[in-house]
Formats: sequence, C-alpha cells, structure tokens
Amino acid sequence: MVNRKKKYTSGEGAQFMTRKSALKKLQLSLNDFRKLCILKGIYPREPRNRKRAQKGKAGIRTLYHVKDIQFLLHEPIVWRLRDYKIFNKKVGRARAVKDFEKLNKYLNNHPTLKLDHIVKERYPTFIEALKDLDDCLTLCFLFSTFPSLAHVPRDQSALCRRLTLEFLHAVIEGKLLRKVFVSIKGYYFQAEIKGQTITWIVPHHFSFTPMSKAEVDFKVMSTFVEFYTVMLGFVNFRLYHGLNLYYPPKFSCLQQNNEEKQLVDEDIFVAERVAALNLPVSKTSNELVEDDFEIDKFNADGSEANEEQQEEIRKELEKVKNLKNLFKGQKFYLNREVPREPLVFVIRCFGGEVSWDKTLFVGSTFDEDDETITHQIVDRPSMEKQFISRYYIQPQWVFDSVNARDLLPVQKYFMGEVLPPHLSPFIDPEKDQEYIPPEARALYNENELEEQFKNDENKKNDDDEDDDEEDDNEENEEQEGNDDQEDEEGEEDNEENVSKKPKLSVSTGEVYKEIPWEKSRQERQEFRLREKMIKNKHRHLYKSMMEGKQKRAKEIWLLRKKRRLHDEKEKGQKEKKKSEKPKKKIVTN
Amino acid sequence: MASTKRKRVSKKLKSAWRKHANVADVEDFLEEKRSEERLGELTTVPDEALFRIDSQVSKDIPVLRNRKKLAAAKELKCFSALRPYTNVPDPVTKRNRVRTKEERQSVFVRNKKSAKTSKLVKQTGKPLSKKKEPKRGEFNTNLWEEGNVNNPSTDEWVDSNTVKHNSNEVRKTRQSNKHKSPAIELPHPGMSYNPSYEDHQDLLRQVAEKEEKLIKEEEHLHRVTRGMFSKVTEEQRDQNWLLDMSQGLANTKSPQEEEEDESDEQDGVTNRSVKNNKKTLKQRRKKKEHLEAEKLRRQLKLQKKKITDIHNLKKIMNNIATVETKQTIRNKITQKKKEEKKKKTKTLSATKFEEPDLEFNLGREIAGNLRDLKTEGNLLNDRFKSMQKRNILAPTKRQTFKKPKVKKFTKATHKEGDWKKSVAKCFKD
Repeated sequence: MVNRKKKYTSGEGAQFMTRKSALKKLQLSLNDFRKLCILKGIYPREPRNRKRAQKGKAGIRTLYHVKDIQFLLHEPIVWRLRDYKIFNKKVGRARAVKDFEKLNKYLNNHPTLKLDHIVKERYPTFIEALKDLDDCLTLCFLFSTFPSLAHVPRDQSALCRRLTLEFLHAVIEGKLLRKVFVSIKGYYFQAEIKGQTITWIVPHHFSFTPMSKAEVDFKVMSTFVEFYTVMLGFVNFRLYHGLNLYYPPKFSCLQQNNEEKQLVDEDIFVAERVAALNLPVSKTSNELVEDDFEIDKFNADGSEANEEQQEEIRKELEKVKNLKNLFKGQKFYLNREVPREPLVFVIRCFGGEVSWDKTLFVGSTFDEDDETITHQIVDRPSMEKQFISRYYIQPQWVFDSVNARDLLPVQKYFMGEVLPPHLSPFIDPEKDQEYIPPEARALYNENELEEQFKNDENKKNDDDEDDDEEDDNEENEEQEGNDDQEDEEGEEDNEENVSKKPKLSVSTGEVYKEIPWEKSRQERQEFRLREKMIKNKHRHLYKSMMEGKQKRAKEIWLLRKKRRLHDEKEKGQKEKKKSEKPKKKIVTN
Repeated sequence: MASTKRKRVSKKLKSAWRKHANVADVEDFLEEKRSEERLGELTTVPDEALFRIDSQVSKDIPVLRNRKKLAAAKELKCFSALRPYTNVPDPVTKRNRVRTKEERQSVFVRNKKSAKTSKLVKQTGKPLSKKKEPKRGEFNTNLWEEGNVNNPSTDEWVDSNTVKHNSNEVRKTRQSNKHKSPAIELPHPGMSYNPSYEDHQDLLRQVAEKEEKLIKEEEHLHRVTRGMFSKVTEEQRDQNWLLDMSQGLANTKSPQEEEEDESDEQDGVTNRSVKNNKKTLKQRRKKKEHLEAEKLRRQLKLQKKKITDIHNLKKIMNNIATVETKQTIRNKITQKKKEEKKKKTKTLSATKFEEPDLEFNLGREIAGNLRDLKTEGNLLNDRFKSMQKRNILAPTKRQTFKKPKVKKFTKATHKEGDWKKSVAKCFKD
C-alpha cells in the first residue's frame, strides 16, 4: 500500500509552531526564550486558519513561524544564555555552601551578553535605527528615573541615565529639536534627525509609581531596555561623531568616587544631571557642521504646482532655520519652583543661556542679579524683589514660542497671569480642511493674534465708554476719537502693505496688454486637461477626493458666514444699546 | 545416577552436544573475567593494598564548618546516575552528544590559538590571562561605518547558513508582522496640562463614550444572566424543591384513573399485525419505467434548451457580466477588509488585548500651571500596552499559583484543653 500523506505536514500546519514546541526545539527555558525573542525581534504570529496551524487542536495558542525559530537556532547568544544558566547554578551552589572564595571568583568573571551584532543585524543602516528610536528613547528615559527594582539589573537605570543625557546633549549640539508638548502624561519632544522625526516622552519628575505585578511584566520590559541601551549607545556614538564631538563626553560635575555616589540621595542625582545638561560638550574640531543647505531652484515639471510646492518647502526651511536660533542671545534665569530639566534642555536647544540659584543646585552659570538676564522664568503668583530689566514670565512661554517657531509676545505669559491654553503642536498640517474659529486661528498666527488683541482692546474701550458716557457731546467726541483710532489702524495697515509690496509686486510690461481673465482661463483649461489624464485606476479616488474637498470647503464657508452674521447682529445690538442709553439719560436729566 | 554411570554419550546432534558437554570451567572463567571488567582486578591485588588496620586514633577531626565544606565538595548523589556503573567501555563509539565549546572551535582557530599561547608563554614565562569579557556600556565603534561592512552574501568564505541568516529577504519576512501604527501615538490635544476648552471637552466626550459603552455591555450581561431569574423567598424555594424532587413519586391520582392507565398499558402490550408493505413486481416495473421516461424527457428538454440558447446569447452574456461585476465588488470588499485587519491588533494568545483607558484630567483638576500639575497615567504601563497593541508582545495574564491547602491537626498529646494537666502528666511519667 502506498504511504498516505500525513495531515499537517505541508501548508499552514507545517508553517507554524507552538511556543512549547519552540522551547523544546531550542532547548531553552521559557524566560530565556522570551529574552531571545525580544533581543532578536521575533514576535508571535497570527495564522490565517488557526485550526490548521494548531494541527487540529482547539483553543488559542501562541504560535511562531517555524522559519523564525529556525532563524533563532543559529544565534550564538543561545549559547551565552546557556552559559548564564550554568553560571547561575554555580553561583547558587557556592552561596548555599558558603564557599565565598569560589563565589567571588564566579561573580568576578560573569558572562555578559554582547548585542552589537544583533543591533547591526536588526538595523542594517543608521536611518533604520533612527526610525525605531521612539520606543527606545521613551523606555530609556523612563528607566532612568527608576530606583533599583527586583528583576531589573542594578546598573541598568544608571546606564539609561548616562545614555539619555548623552542623547540630549547631541540634540542640543545639533539643534535638532522641533516641537515640545507638555501633557499630563509627560513631556513630548519631537526632534528631526537626518530627516526622521523622532518623538519621545519624558516623564514628569517623580514619575515612579509602584505597580502591582499583574499589570506590567518588569522582566520583559527590562529585557527591552537591555537591548535598547546598546542601540542607543551606538546611535549616540554615531551622532557625536557626526557633530564633531568627543564620545563619550565627560562632565566634571558628574565625576565622583563610587563611595561618594552611594551616599548621595536622589535629589542631588537629579541636580547633577541637570547641571550636566547646562555644560557645553568638548569638540573634536571647531569646524561647524553645516546642515543648512539651499534647495536648487530647479523646476522639473515646469508646472505652477511644482513651483508652489518648492516655495512651500523653502519657506519651511527658512522657518526651521529661524527656529534653530530662537533663543540666541537671550539669558534665562530659572526660579527654584520651575521644573528645570525640560526647560534647560529646550532653552539650550535653541541657543539660549540658562542659570539658576547657585546656593540651591550645582551648575549655575550666572547670578540672579545679573543685569543682562532677559527673562526670568517664574511659576508663582507674585514676587517681592523684581528687576526692571527683565521679563518675569511663566514656563509655558518657552514651550509655546518653540511650537510657534517665533518669540511670542510676553504680555499673556507674565507672572500671575491666567495663561492661554497650551495647544498641541501635533495636529494635522491640513488645517485648511476644517473650520477654525478666528480666536483659535489667532493662536497659531502671531500677526492675527496682535490684531485680535487690538480688537479686544477696542471693544474694551467701547465698553468703558459706554459706562463713562454722560453727555451727547462727549459721546460724539469719543466717537470721533474712536474713528481717529480706526483711521490710525488703517494707516498702519497701509504702511505694512506698502512695506510688503516691493517684495511681491510684479511690474507689468506696458506694450503688451494682457486680458485679465485670459490667464486664469488658460490655467483652468490646462487643469481640466490634466484631470483627463488621470488613469482609470485612480479616477474614482480622485473624484471622491475632490468631492470631499468641496464638501469641506462648503462647510467652512457656511460656518464663516454664520459667524459673520452673528457678529454683525451683535454689533447691531450694541449700537442700538448705545443709541438707546443716552436717550434714557436725557429723560432722567 | 544414570548419567554419571554412563561413560560415553553420543554427541551426534547439536542438542545432545549441548546437553552433555561440560562447559562449567569456561563459564566460570568468563564470569570471572566479566566481574573483573566491571569491578577491576581484585584477585591480583594483595590484601594489604585493599585493607588497613586502623590502630591509631585520628587527631584532627575537622570542625563542623570544615566538615560541611568537605561534604559539599563531594560529588552530589544525584550525579551518580550520570556516571557509568561498569568499567566496560561504551560499545557505541560515536555516541551523539553536545560537543563542548573547545570541540566546537574550528581546527584553524584552535591551532592558531595554541601556537600563539605557547609562543607567549615561552617568552614571558607566565600563563596567559583569560580574554576580557565585553564590558557593558562601552561603545567605541561605529556600527554603521561604510568600511566596516563585511557583507556575508558577497563573501565566499562565509557559511551558507550565515548567508541565509543575514539575507535581506529573511529579514523582510521576519518584519512582515510589524504593525502599522506608530510607536508613540500622538497625544490628544486635550491631554495638555493647560488645554483649550474645546479640546478638553472633546477628550472628555471620548472618555465618556467609551465608559458608556462599557456600562451598556455590563448591563446587557447582567440582564442576560443574573437578571433573568426572579428572586424567591426561602420558603418558596423549599417548596419548589420539594415539588421538583417529588415529581413522579407521590401517588396523587384517584384509583379510577389508575385502572384506566392499567387498561391502556394492556392495550399497548398486544401485538398489532405487521402489514406487508412490499411492492408487487408490477408496481416495481411501472416505477422503473416511469423514472426512465422522466429522465428521457429531461434530456430532451436540455437538448432543446441548448438550441434555443444560441438565440439567447445576449442574455447569457449579460448574466455573465453581472456575475463578474459582483465578483469584482466582492473582491474589493475583501481586499479592504484585509487591509483593515492589518491595522488591527492580532490575537496572539488566549488572553484578549484590552485597549488602555485614555488619560484625562477633570475640569476642576486642571491647575493651569506646571507647579500644581496633576499627572495622570503610567508611562510604563502605556509602553507595555502599546507593545501588545503592535503585536510585539502577546497579551498574558499573570500566573498565580495557589499554595496547596495543608490539613492541620493537633497531636494526640496536645489535644487536651488544659495545658497544666498535660504538662503535669508528662512530669509524672
């Protein structure tokens, strides 16, 4: 009889492997297997047909690809994990027998996992490593705040602290930071390194909250951190060398004897870290690493749209260039109630100088009574002693200025003032696709903010006038005054226009008289032709896109109209009130 | 005996040979040899070498601590099972075992190493120190240097397994599981420490919607399970129980009814005559003929339809077209579903992934300044959940092992309540 083909020897049944069989194949314990998988980046899989993949067995099992497990089979660190097992047994026995000589001998040359080749294997290029840096940074920053814990190697948090500090220095030196957001969860930072946007979260101070074991597996997380520290180390090395800096950097305030370190408490640790942030890093050469580049004015298509795009890119670049030197020449002094670590980092990133009270924390660079200080950052309602030469502002001004990419007017951020909302910088760039009320729009645009401010003041003045008005004559005078004010504003606007005009104006030739609508007509025709060129494959998509766009535009238009009508109505009512009030007064008189 | 008396026995056959040949001496010799192999040669060793008369008292009996140390230095009993129990060499010369680290080294490396060490040892006269273990937290190479690349796929000296291990395709298949969503999800603007009113309201709305959904689900579960049964008083419950249990037992019927029942039973017992339902031959033939005729009729109809279908070509084409369009639409939908499924969290283990709650501050909790900020959420938990969401970790439940219950009892001697008595009893004895 012919041998019949056994079930599940081909197809999906042969592709998958349960975790238990994987353990058997690799001859590892579950903990070691977990560790290996995390280090090598092998994740469990979901099959298309679970029943077939589990070889007819019911329930849901954790499945792995057979090929993945075979891939793990060649890994040299499997042997290292076995060495660990042996080492642990030896140490355990020596300790139990109280053979301290042997115990010391074993502990002094313990096996260590070398993960360099895995980092290289998982991220063949530097860019790929940067792409995966989000998780790495967040976890490292988090673990840097942790005390020593069970299941977490004792030196891990110290290593995380060192590496994160080094990374922050690289960001400061390279001026790579772009956005900051203070949330209730922590500080969100967004940097741009080699064209990759990297977002990470830094927890607020005192972030460690003891957790129940059921929630998070500390062992697993610490394994992740073990891999990420190696990765971050190599990324730091590369970043430092790219910026012409010595790696590893040395900070004088951080160098202490080990004995001393044990005595120092947590607060002083933090203070030292912040102090280290405030110091410049030694450079290998004084050459500036020019990251700024001009975009070629090369128009591939020759079309208008492309030109616009290029114009936009150029503007964006200009803005980023400005942002990099946002706080240059500014001197900041931090009061003691302000969270120093994020502020020092942000201010130093954009070229500012920072200092704090010399007597409280180490590493201050100038005193409070320095006359050249431009801003003092304060987070309390009032202060007794104040200098006239500087602004007393709340910390949000720094973050908002960074997000606005410009120094915002300080009036709204003065000490004791109720702050304007801190908006997220991470919202969609396609803001024109939705309706934004004028107040919100003003928050993103400084010019509009000023206008808004003026309007508000005018309104206030109006209100005051309403109260103050006693006589018709006076009122008339006031109105005239108002008109004058408005005129002045108009003049200002005109002046602005005049100042802007020479940049944008195009002088038309005199001889050739162009028909004004001809050009737009031509463009419309061309646009329609281009629309016709769209492939059949994308036609439907294009159509729905355009319809959506139109719909949204209509909605915006409708809301704007509503707003306008509403405003007009209110204005009308106010005027009515104005005209009614004096009459009453006359009657009373 | 007869056998001893007979001088000579025929050993013609093999069986006879076996029976009468005396091989005791040979057997004895072989037995001795085997035992020697097993235990070593004892006969040749003089007694003095094996035994010794202990006439002196040993002076230095080790201290307890040292004795313990000595005992610990001995090989563990559990390993005796691993030791060979005879001196007979292993007949399988090439037993399959895990080779040691030194054995695994290639010949070239071993030779080179030995040559080097011997040279150095000769020169310095000192034994070589062990190679330093890699130190943690030391980064002094550029991992991604251009010159540093030795591409295994181009290097002809590299093992084929290594090439496969590092090939780009293998890497891609490994990473095909990667989830689409970013590692760090951008925060809702309402999570700002000082959010605008609209953003904050939007966030609260989202949280409330989620909560409402949960409440609805809970209510549904209650309605479907516990809510289905009305509450009953204890008396009622007992009554019900009695009723249920006595079903079919108690004799509640009147004697007349019983009689009727009995008569029914008797009727049921009588055998009714079984009717023979077999068809006659004629009926069978008729049925067969009828079936054949039906078949023929159907075939004819089909033939006819084939001819008429030529005129209906247009209709058929239309039919096909509609079917095809339906197919394409269905294909599109399935494709879409597939894409959506890629974005979702996969089921990797028996425990279901639960989306973490959104962090939020209530309106009264927002201080508006950094000093009085009320933090919310746990970053570690957030990372852990995010990894589960991105299919990096399989969601698991913490395994808790209950200690087995130990039955406790008091000893018979300790059982008496009054301790004075029992103690007194002890002393008396």
